[in-house]
Amino acid sequence: MTKEINKLVDHLFRHESGKLIAVLTKVFGPDQLELVEDVVQDSLVEAMQNWTYHGIPKNPSGWLYRVAKNKAINLLKQGQAKNRNAKHAAAQLKVEDLQLSSESFFSEKEIQDDQLRMIFTCCHPAITSDSQIALALKTLCGFSIPEIASAFLTPQENINKRLVRARKTLREQQIPFAVPTGAALAPRLKAVLETTYLLFNEGYQASSGDQLIKYELVEEAIRMVHLLIDHPAITTKQTAYALLALMQLNAARFTARQNEQGDIITLEHQNRAEWDKALIDNGLISLQKAEPHRYLSKYHILAIISSYHCTAPRFEQTNWPGILQEYDRFLLIDNSPIVQLNRCIALAKVEGAQPAIETLRAIKGLDNYHLFYSILAEFQIELQDWASAIKTLQMAEPLATLEKEKTLIQGRINFCLKKLAS
Amino acid sequence: MKDFLLIIKTEGSVWSDLSPEELQKHMEHGHAYIGNLMQSGKLKNANPIDKGGRVVVEENGVMKDGPFNESKEVVAGYFHITVTDMEEALTVAKANPIFKDIPTRIEVYPMMPIGGN
Repeated sequence: MTKEINKLVDHLFRHESGKLIAVLTKVFGPDQLELVEDVVQDSLVEAMQNWTYHGIPKNPSGWLYRVAKNKAINLLKQGQAKNRNAKHAAAQLKVEDLQLSSESFFSEKEIQDDQLRMIFTCCHPAITSDSQIALALKTLCGFSIPEIASAFLTPQENINKRLVRARKTLREQQIPFAVPTGAALAPRLKAVLETTYLLFNEGYQASSGDQLIKYELVEEAIRMVHLLIDHPAITTKQTAYALLALMQLNAARFTARQNEQGDIITLEHQNRAEWDKALIDNGLISLQKAEPHRYLSKYHILAIISSYHCTAPRFEQTNWPGILQEYDRFLLIDNSPIVQLNRCIALAKVEGAQPAIETLRAIKGLDNYHLFYSILAEFQIELQDWASAIKTLQMAEPLATLEKEKTLIQGRINFCLKKLAS
Repeated sequence: MKDFLLIIKTEGSVWSDLSPEELQKHMEHGHAYIGNLMQSGKLKNANPIDKGGRVVVEENGVMKDGPFNESKEVVAGYFHITVTDMEEALTVAKANPIFKDIPTRIEVYPMMPIGGN
């Protein structure tokens, strides 16, 4: 028995799982993804059993790669033996490639390339976006179905259905395991960034879900953008950097947005000392690399807005004219009601509550959105129109879906009632 | 001092349901547990059991491979420990962190000393 007490880096199994799945998917093909996932799970179980009793090896990753490779070769040999088995037909063809390249198989460069291919495969437009996210979490990030379900507050059965649908699309549409090149790259990269952004939002969204696992989603989204940025095949990186900046600047405020009971704390009342200063600095550096003066995307605008919030020492010192200007630019590329609504918050700070109320009331299509009423109520509170604010908040309350949001709205109603009584 | 054999039994396929994160946590806990037993000199030997166990039986003078159902309870590993008495052996068995993660059964057997009792 070895007596070495090595420590593993956090999430090593999870991240090695993502690497192993990517490399083995290249060998077996995306249509054999389930088989690949089983091989990787088997390898991790073997590592767990072995290391528990005999200690952690000096090179844990190397150990895992060797075992996973042996399992893969065995499977391919089995496939050759019963060569009428159609399920292994595709894999059989590649057995020689595998043996030839076994040394360079898990080189850092191969892993990096295959993980990038995996990102583009998972985020293929033929797959629906909720299935893309589930698939990326399962394969690239090494999450289990129960973990994904608890992060999304969704029954495991739903997550499983999404994964089954995704794998079916990979098989039936023969999705290639490749990074698109030439003119095809830009639109596909855009789709990948959007999926990553949705994944981030799933983690970032305040809810009564498991906070630990939600933050891990945020971290994974950031890691995925890093994989994109760090890869030489992605030559135009500015939009990815803008998304990274947006994620970092928001992730910096993750813990400050909720108190210990899980209640939402609005930006105004957050303790800014709790913001992660190092992450904010990284976010500002990423924003610089996004070259916001030369490039424009919604991530650029949202990242700039976040940077104004993150760099204000106090809420009262927020650069609202700067933020309003960004929302004006935002409307040029996305004139949606949600953007108009958010712009009203900045407008109220710059021009006052009354013009903001008028602009807000002119927005169409948000009649069933609780934040439309919550924001309107805040403007009415600013004008000390307590009675109207209460009425508006009472419209918002039944429309809010999360318990925490209802609590927040109820708190504001009570506040107005007190004011009205005094 | 007396030697004991601790046999860990789990359901065969129980690990395939754990996530990579859970497997890592489980490994780290188990590893720390064994490390402590080693440092205190209580652990003589320990091994996990690989897949593919077989049973050999003799029936009416004929040797044959008996049935072995991997999906049911299987031996996952064993510990050979040396402690003062059965009570301490049971304490060691109960402290195994495996109980926190998966349904487990640990059987504790006193080993007969070489010189007899």
